[in-house]
Amino acid sequence: MTVADERTTAPAPQADPPVEPSRFSLSHPRSRIAWIRPAVWLPLLVTLAVLAALWQWGAEKLPYLLPPLQDIGSSLAGQFGYYVDNALVTLGEAVAGLATGFAAAFVLAVLTSELPLVRRAVMPIAVVLNVTPLVAIAPALVVAFGFGPLPKLVIAGLICFFPILINTAAGLRSVPRQVLQVYRTMDAGRLELLRHVRVPNALPYVFAALRIVFPLSIVGAVVAEMSASGSTDGLGTVIGVASSMNQLPVVYASILVLAVMGVLLLLAVTLVERRVLHWHDSAHN
Amino acid sequence: MDGSVKVTGTPALALRSVHRVYGFGPSATNALDDVRLTVPPGRFVSLIGPSGCGKSTLLRLVAGLERPDRGEVLVHGVPPATACAAKMIGLVPQSPALLPWLSVLRNVTLPQKINKGAARRRERIAGTEREGAPAAPDMRELLVKAGLGEAMHKLPAQLSGGMRQRAAIVRAFGLRPDVLVMDEPFSALDEFTRESLQDQLLDLWDELKTTVLFVTHSVPEAVRLSDTVVVMAPGPGRIVDTIDVDLPRPRGERLFGERRFHEYEDLVRDRLRRAWRSEAA
Ligand SMILES: Nc1ncnc2c1ncn2[C@@H]1O[C@H](COP(=O)(O)OP(=O)(O)OP(=O)(O)O)[C@@H](O)[C@H]1O
Ligand SMILES: [Mg+2]
Repeated sequence: MTVADERTTAPAPQADPPVEPSRFSLSHPRSRIAWIRPAVWLPLLVTLAVLAALWQWGAEKLPYLLPPLQDIGSSLAGQFGYYVDNALVTLGEAVAGLATGFAAAFVLAVLTSELPLVRRAVMPIAVVLNVTPLVAIAPALVVAFGFGPLPKLVIAGLICFFPILINTAAGLRSVPRQVLQVYRTMDAGRLELLRHVRVPNALPYVFAALRIVFPLSIVGAVVAEMSASGSTDGLGTVIGVASSMNQLPVVYASILVLAVMGVLLLLAVTLVERRVLHWHDSAHN
Repeated sequence: MDGSVKVTGTPALALRSVHRVYGFGPSATNALDDVRLTVPPGRFVSLIGPSGCGKSTLLRLVAGLERPDRGEVLVHGVPPATACAAKMIGLVPQSPALLPWLSVLRNVTLPQKINKGAARRRERIAGTEREGAPAAPDMRELLVKAGLGEAMHKLPAQLSGGMRQRAAIVRAFGLRPDVLVMDEPFSALDEFTRESLQDQLLDLWDELKTTVLFVTHSVPEAVRLSDTVVVMAPGPGRIVDTIDVDLPRPRGERLFGERRFHEYEDLVRDRLRRAWRSEAA
């Protein structure tokens, strides 16, 4: 595989920066007003009501598959502190992994964009690994690193690493030619160009990657927890233990907490993005 | 044909038998073939000619973005790379090429933060030619002069196309370059904006008196702005004519009504037509 292939083989995240319209448009001033209108929230409410009704009907017919909603609710309310503690453990592993993966990927992206030799050596592998389901190596990592937080951190970091690497490298290299020409006639140094031109230019790409990678980091941490059957905490462990003991409400309550956590993380990324990328199109629509 | 003008002292620009070929073998393009041009300091020179005759290529050679395959390019007696290292060259590309995350003011002041060793290097090169290295100009003042006083703190995306192009010109002038190269900087603008930008360009140039190499497709623009119009022809890219425009300055709007202006226009058009014909032949 050549470096030229990487554009076509890289998955979606590499697309142009204004990735997707924000799913959390409620933080946008104009849509904040729009949310008052029933036409905006009613369809969602109806869908939720229908789903809840179906769920309850299913729970009645198949009690071994679906717990009734009120059981999930009472489990959440009764052991709220327990869920929060375990959620924080998982969150900690995910965020620590993400931070490590981010730092490593960013540095490597700068190196690949500056040194063609490194790019040719690394990018083809990165492209392949980016489409490899890395969670599959979780059990192996548990064998290697034991039941502590390390394998979880490693998995979360690995999952985040390649999307960030590929997007950041693309962003660093996507500076318009005429801009580069202007600064080349001033004989701008590599570091100057990086600092003043390439890195800011890559920021929309970095945020596009972060939006993808934040939820993935949680997936990584949870899967690692589930594979390490000796772990003591974390929502993945809670789900693993509860399902082996047939405690369906606990399983679904944990899943619900994970979903909420994912939404909050994505919301945080969106808010930071709005501030940092105020100059970019993606922050305006 | 030789594009030389009589010069005393080191010329601002000297192209000696410059050749530039793109590609290899039968598919090779002779972008520039034996191009000779000498420009004394402080002159405003326009390049005009049919598409593909090598105007942009010539600019890229002067700006040190490419090297000639044969021949020599000198800017104030030194190779373009040395001139770039001394920040003697200002480039205004066809698109404004502003950084979208910086305000207009920050965009035009960024060059001062880049390559800070240039001033020292420049003293050594240009010191004898001009009165020492020029001081860093007040960019706010330049922006106001270019009609961007109000827009100073806005982002490029909040400006009109004409304002963005003006910002790009101010950025280049801010370097106090010895040579300013501009590749069709006004081609994307409507006629009125274009004329008012020509006014402002002439005002700035009047003050800083740098050598300008200006690519355009517009005959009136070339005649109005230039001391010398260089006509080029394609296949292979070459200089076919050099016309000195002997019109008084400042050249305000009134110039458009004058007969002498139109005579020069007709002259340039005639030479351009010949350049086209030579391509067809
Ligand atoms: N990077 C390149 N690779 C191959 N051929 C090139 C390259 N740049 C220019 N050429 C060729 O060299 C010739 C001159 O191109 P150039 O861009 O200098 O023309 P131009 O006079 O600026 O034309 P225009 O008025 O359309 O901008 C053209 O035939 C073009 O196809
Ligand atoms: Mg051109």
